[in-house]
Amino acid sequence: MRTKLLTWILWGLVIILLFFLPKLVNLYYLSLFLGFVIYSLYAVTLNLLLGYMGVLSFGHAMFFGTGAYTVALLLKHIQGIPLLPTILLGGLAAGLLAVILSPLLVRVSGTAFAMLTLAFSQLIFVAALKFREVTGGEDGIGLASLPPLKLLGLFSVDMNDKINFYYFAIIFVALCLFLLWFYTKTPFGSLIVGVRDNALRMDYLGFNLSHIRAINLIVSGTFAGLAGATHGMLMKLVSTVGVLDIGTCFKPLMMAYIGGVGSFFGPILGSGILHILEDVVIRFTDRIGLVNGTIFVLVVLFAPQGLIGLFNTVKAKWFQKEKVS
Amino acid sequence: MNILETKGLYHNFKGLEVLFDVNLQVREGERLALIGPNGAGKTTLFNVITGNYHASQGHVFFKGKEVTKLTPHQLTRIGMGRSFQITSTFARLTAFQNIRQAVLSKNKIRFQMLRKLDKMNKITEETDEILKRINLDGQRDIPAGMLSYGKHRALEISMALATDPDLIMLDEPTAGMSRDETHTAVELIRRLTEGKTVVIIEHDMDVVFSLADRITVLHYGQLLASGPPAEIRENQEVKDAYLGELEYG
Amino acid sequence: MSPTTVLYVAQALHGLAYGMLLFLIASGLTLIFGMMGILNIAHASFAMLAAYFCFTALKLTGNFWAALVIAPVIAGFVGVLTERFLLRPVHKHGHLAELLITVGIMTLILELVKYFWGTESLVVKIPQSLSGLVKVAGLTYPVYRLFVIGISVLILGFMALILFKTRLGKIVQAAVSDTEMVSALGINTPMVFMLVFGIGIWLAGVAGAVAGPLLTVFPGMADQLGMDAFVVVVVGGFGSLLGAFIVALFLGELNAYGIQFIPRLAPVLMFAFMALVLAFKPMGLFGERE
Repeated sequence: MRTKLLTWILWGLVIILLFFLPKLVNLYYLSLFLGFVIYSLYAVTLNLLLGYMGVLSFGHAMFFGTGAYTVALLLKHIQGIPLLPTILLGGLAAGLLAVILSPLLVRVSGTAFAMLTLAFSQLIFVAALKFREVTGGEDGIGLASLPPLKLLGLFSVDMNDKINFYYFAIIFVALCLFLLWFYTKTPFGSLIVGVRDNALRMDYLGFNLSHIRAINLIVSGTFAGLAGATHGMLMKLVSTVGVLDIGTCFKPLMMAYIGGVGSFFGPILGSGILHILEDVVIRFTDRIGLVNGTIFVLVVLFAPQGLIGLFNTVKAKWFQKEKVS
Repeated sequence: MNILETKGLYHNFKGLEVLFDVNLQVREGERLALIGPNGAGKTTLFNVITGNYHASQGHVFFKGKEVTKLTPHQLTRIGMGRSFQITSTFARLTAFQNIRQAVLSKNKIRFQMLRKLDKMNKITEETDEILKRINLDGQRDIPAGMLSYGKHRALEISMALATDPDLIMLDEPTAGMSRDETHTAVELIRRLTEGKTVVIIEHDMDVVFSLADRITVLHYGQLLASGPPAEIRENQEVKDAYLGELEYG
Repeated sequence: MSPTTVLYVAQALHGLAYGMLLFLIASGLTLIFGMMGILNIAHASFAMLAAYFCFTALKLTGNFWAALVIAPVIAGFVGVLTERFLLRPVHKHGHLAELLITVGIMTLILELVKYFWGTESLVVKIPQSLSGLVKVAGLTYPVYRLFVIGISVLILGFMALILFKTRLGKIVQAAVSDTEMVSALGINTPMVFMLVFGIGIWLAGVAGAVAGPLLTVFPGMADQLGMDAFVVVVVGGFGSLLGAFIVALFLGELNAYGIQFIPRLAPVLMFAFMALVLAFKPMGLFGERE
């Protein structure tokens, strides 16, 4: 019971910190922090497939990018469209993509799944590049101004104010993260892990594997789209580089792996580390890619369970547990 | 009534014929032992019947209905259960979590995303009850992979039974067990399969003779003989086929 | 020949050249995958590395032929070191870890290349003997492209010879289908792994070095080549050299004709083709391993 109280206190502190953050740091760091939080959501959605279901999505950027581009296109072409529906439609579009791809993707696993997702992601990337009239190609689409957040017709909050946007985005992403965390704790969450650990046994227990895989894929894709949508609004620019390119495919992967794919919070930790690293390393050298790559290789070599896994192993060794029969 | 029946079942693996014209009948409520030398095709037959493999020819009937093309999960939902020769549980999950998966299936909880699993008390109770019945309540929170071999096998068997099937197919449930573990397992099987139909693949003839009402012999993918234990024991053909392979206790 | 025929034939030859390059890369990938179960994401990056080595070797020696020979060998050697120190230790952590470390290696190679050679496109000068045009059956065609085709066929013929006619080749074939058995026979499997990986990389290196003058040497070189090579392997079928060959040539032609006649849709076409094949045969046209 003491741990429960401790957890509540910890979360309370986190919430207080988040609330006062704009007062404590300047806008630059506020944006950086928001970027980290949004990317954490993205990395968590990847881990729903990787850590929880045991399949590697190499092309997760297609969902992230679909969310981002949907928002950009909606804002560009539909005057007066409100904020919330815009973001939600971004998620919906990504979810739709997942629905379309699921009949094919649920039939494969392992390397084939990784390659297929990579290929589809590249397909969408190339299409976005080539159809400049729609997507703006490499230059992308700029988001001139964000619509205000209208709450129940009661009041309207200007989202072009960076601090307002910060509060909105933090609450929105935190809500998404909470929903996903809850999702992993439901019976369905248990089924997903079952499919990962022993698909044959799941089959023989009476579960439809394809259905389970498809739904998890759709949930993962939808929330990745929501992350992309929010990201687009933060950056005020949506172009192929940054939301659809191969780097955007690899970043959440590195984050999840470095933090630890075996835990819900691993990707969040990984996202934090990579974001801090990027900010710090950039002062000394612009060889950020080199640093990221080296760290990634080192983690895979020496800490394949990620940092959280490493922490757990150390903790277990500390409190020696005996093998029981 | 025959709860399970196969008609003219053939199966081949990349050109190699493994099952020939298998016409198996299993009466409702009986315990049938399927024996035969190694490589006779017993596990393959199980795989074909339970939908893991597609028969190249022939039909399978369950409770009178044709089920030849059904997949494992579909068959489980209409009342078939199966355990594996090589233990197939969720090694990283605890014994409790393992049984719970089966309990979820039995209660048809398949797409529940609105409640926390740990807070579903009815499920927890049902799972604990099963653990008690199979004497694993003491190992409730031990990861399956860390259980002793005998207990792990017991978990494997009860996973097959937890969905409350009418027909249970057990593939060498006592494989690799010591004398004592085998004895415990046989008692467990007998207790848990009261009133149900059981088909059991076994090499240990003691187990066969203590559990089975009827024995069917499979040899090189073909049904050699079928009948009560005493009859099979004296069958010359069976003895020839088995030269040296059976363990007579 | 009429001008239209000339155009078509020229495109066909372009496609053949690119297709052969793709096959050189894809065959190394397939060999490594078939043998070790590792899908080497960094494969095309090694090809690019060889192209850079070739550039530098040319600068140092002034001899194109020498550079062409040295570069892939050095790349192959780097490959061997990679297998020994980065891949082998990770093997015990499973396929995912292996896949991920090749992603890391890909990133590292890209960054190191940018660090040592900069981000600008480098030009590799081809010697007099290979430059210019030649008249072939009424068609005027760049000599170098014919050279690319020629050398690819030569190398592949050579590889096929070794694989099917020598004792080493038989060991490799055996190791691909049954690693444990080969090891039980007393053959040093880790050695064979290193060797095969090195050869796979060397093949990619040859493709990279040869492609340098054609595609110009720049850090983004590996992207297109790599993606195309993966499509080849995925569509052709994991572990199938025949599949890789057929699809590589097909893709080469698709690319050439696509770029000529429907430049906007060409890249999309390739992925659409892949999606189509995989919808019906998820394991690729000739694939069986997973």
